[in-house]
Amino acid sequence: MATKQTYTQDELIILIREKNQKAFSYLYDNYSQALFGVINGIINNVEESEDVLQKTFLKIWNNFSTYDSEKGRLYTWMLNIGRNLAIDSTRSKHEKIRSKIQSTSESVYKFENNLRAEDNKYDSIGLSAILNTLKEEHKSIIDLAYFEGYTQEEISKKLNLPLGTVKTKVRQALLKLRELSKKEIIS
Amino acid sequence: MNSKEVISSGLLESYVLGTASAEETALVNRLCREHPELVKEIEAIEESLIHFSSQVSPSLNKALKDKIASGLTFDAEESPVAKVISIKNETEGRLTIYKLGIAASLLLFLTSLMYNVQLNHKLSRVSGELAELNAAKSYLAEELKVQQASLKTMVSEIQILADPKVKTIALNGMNVLEKKSAMIHMNMETSEVYFNASALPAAPTAKQYQLWAIVDGKPVDAGMIDMNSTASVFQKMKSIKGAQAFAVTIENMGGSPVPTMETMCLLGNV
Repeated sequence: MATKQTYTQDELIILIREKNQKAFSYLYDNYSQALFGVINGIINNVEESEDVLQKTFLKIWNNFSTYDSEKGRLYTWMLNIGRNLAIDSTRSKHEKIRSKIQSTSESVYKFENNLRAEDNKYDSIGLSAILNTLKEEHKSIIDLAYFEGYTQEEISKKLNLPLGTVKTKVRQALLKLRELSKKEIIS
Repeated sequence: MNSKEVISSGLLESYVLGTASAEETALVNRLCREHPELVKEIEAIEESLIHFSSQVSPSLNKALKDKIASGLTFDAEESPVAKVISIKNETEGRLTIYKLGIAASLLLFLTSLMYNVQLNHKLSRVSGELAELNAAKSYLAEELKVQQASLKTMVSEIQILADPKVKTIALNGMNVLEKKSAMIHMNMETSEVYFNASALPAAPTAKQYQLWAIVDGKPVDAGMIDMNSTASVFQKMKSIKGAQAFAVTIENMGGSPVPTMETMCLLGNV
């Protein structure tokens, strides 16, 4: 794995435009797990999440011409596709419109519950370490902002906090994540 | 806004999370060009998010990658330009546009080629159909001519029959034509004779029916009967004045100057 090639975002974009198979391989190797984490965080069913992940890559690949690097990061674009497909899938499954403002979003808590289940496939040590070090408010902020795709205005309404506070909290929560990922890489 | 302020504003986080507005996104893009260190910050945020959701993700089925790949289309050839990706951004852009241009014109060319081939196919099919239709049309025109002629004949035959001066004479069968019969229509004023052979069987091979008129007890040749004529039911025979009776004999092809009495097969009085 030491020889593993790395591409910058710009290089990767060119290769994907050319429908280069290596680019797909690279995309998958580097982003599928992260996207799967978000998708499964919304759906909470591994099998369905695999279907949605497949749809996500299909859409990324076939609709790549619609990606515009001026409108955001490649990962952000892919994240949006995965998030929307996952939300669509839960909507169509339950045939109820999920109201963003009123729903209880508990994806991060679901992970904790899953951890307690006897038969879990997660990397429990790493994950529980991460989750245990996150404050409750950071958990819900990350859940809303990252997994559910809430804008900061929507979070502010939902949590009944001033927009400025939400901005700070989102930043704090993500800083915490950065800290954690650094620590883990070192350990 | 200096880069420190931008970093602490939370704008970059919402940029990476995909929740920034279009204006905010444009602002971040502009700031990144002015302050390259912001790109590093954005990448760090992105990395931490990727790391986090990967950590909380259930492990992926190893077979899924191939399954997903099998549903995608790839460029079969490893484009050589793809390997020159490390040259400067602008060149890449131009190269891509150039390549896109070539690809687009090639695609356009291929599409128009395919379209042409398709059109050609259609054209030859349509001309084939047209030829068929034309053939059918001339066949129908021929058929119409034949039908018109036959109708004309029938009309004239009906006129003959409708003439009160025309008398119908029945010829009764005998010998080989026992149980058969034929008709003669004779205009008593002009002595025109029409023979109706439609009920007669074909004459034996190399033989022909010959009509005779009996005038003053003597047979007079009234003409050969053509059994192959399909155009009309009536055949116009020779006009004989003062015929008292008609008879038909079977003679060699071309007829005989005198009737062979043994082969007489039809006879009827006027």
